[in-house]
Amino acid sequence: MNAGHHHPAPPSPIEQRVAALEALLTEKGLVPDGFVEEVTRRYETEIGPLNGAKVVARAWVDPAYRERLLRDGTHAIAELGFAGAEGDHMVVVENTPSVHNVVVCTLCSCYPWPTLGLPPAWYKDPPYRSRMVREPRVLLREMGCVIPEDMEVHVWDSSAEVRYLVLPERPAGTEELTEEELAALVTRDSMIGVARL
Amino acid sequence: MTVPDLGVPRRNGELAFDAPWQSRVFGLAAAVAEHAYAGDWEPFRRQLITAIAAEPDRPYWESWTAALEALTGMIDVVGDAHG
Repeated sequence: MNAGHHHPAPPSPIEQRVAALEALLTEKGLVPDGFVEEVTRRYETEIGPLNGAKVVARAWVDPAYRERLLRDGTHAIAELGFAGAEGDHMVVVENTPSVHNVVVCTLCSCYPWPTLGLPPAWYKDPPYRSRMVREPRVLLREMGCVIPEDMEVHVWDSSAEVRYLVLPERPAGTEELTEEELAALVTRDSMIGVARL
Repeated sequence: MTVPDLGVPRRNGELAFDAPWQSRVFGLAAAVAEHAYAGDWEPFRRQLITAIAAEPDRPYWESWTAALEALTGMIDVVGDAHG
């Protein structure tokens, strides 16, 4: 890598638009020094699917917590310290031996930031947003998640009012694991519902 | 352009941004939600829905940028009305 000396490329049109926005918003006094850096740092390093994994693991080991989580997701998740933008109206939907849940946002990219971080690229793409409603089993299979024919698929459309988190089934053979070890098993995709554990 | 690997913990997710301007425009929208709308993302979300519906195949962060441009224009109007 030539780190010492290089000539940066001129800004692209989109980079220029973002720079213009930043100048305008800064002029309006809406962008305090360091604010953008701090927000992006938090979403790149602190706020991510590990938070959701901790929620799931707690629900697996603590039946009373699981009950609170399914009854009032927002408050139960806040108990573990996860709250904030895009996490005000959380509904947790539970996978069972007969029901598989999967989450989509058909209109844009609504997603539970405090528990899953920012959405992956495919979640925001038009094919996922339209096909998950139209043909969930087909799309899930293409994504490597085969749902048995006798299992129902429930598709949940996120919105301004509600953000969904899937509570996956606890895998068999994990009785001896600690809560922390269980959390390490939980993937982001299983909490969106495009994978099973 | 890609973000260099800075050893950022990706946990079990993936890095959310592919280029610096994307994290920049995300942070700017957060600044607007926080400081112009008291933490409410709904005004931005409405613009994002409109921007995506207008050009469904446009890359996501470009729609995000268009949404923030539209919202910023509306803040102008509010400012003028009160100014």
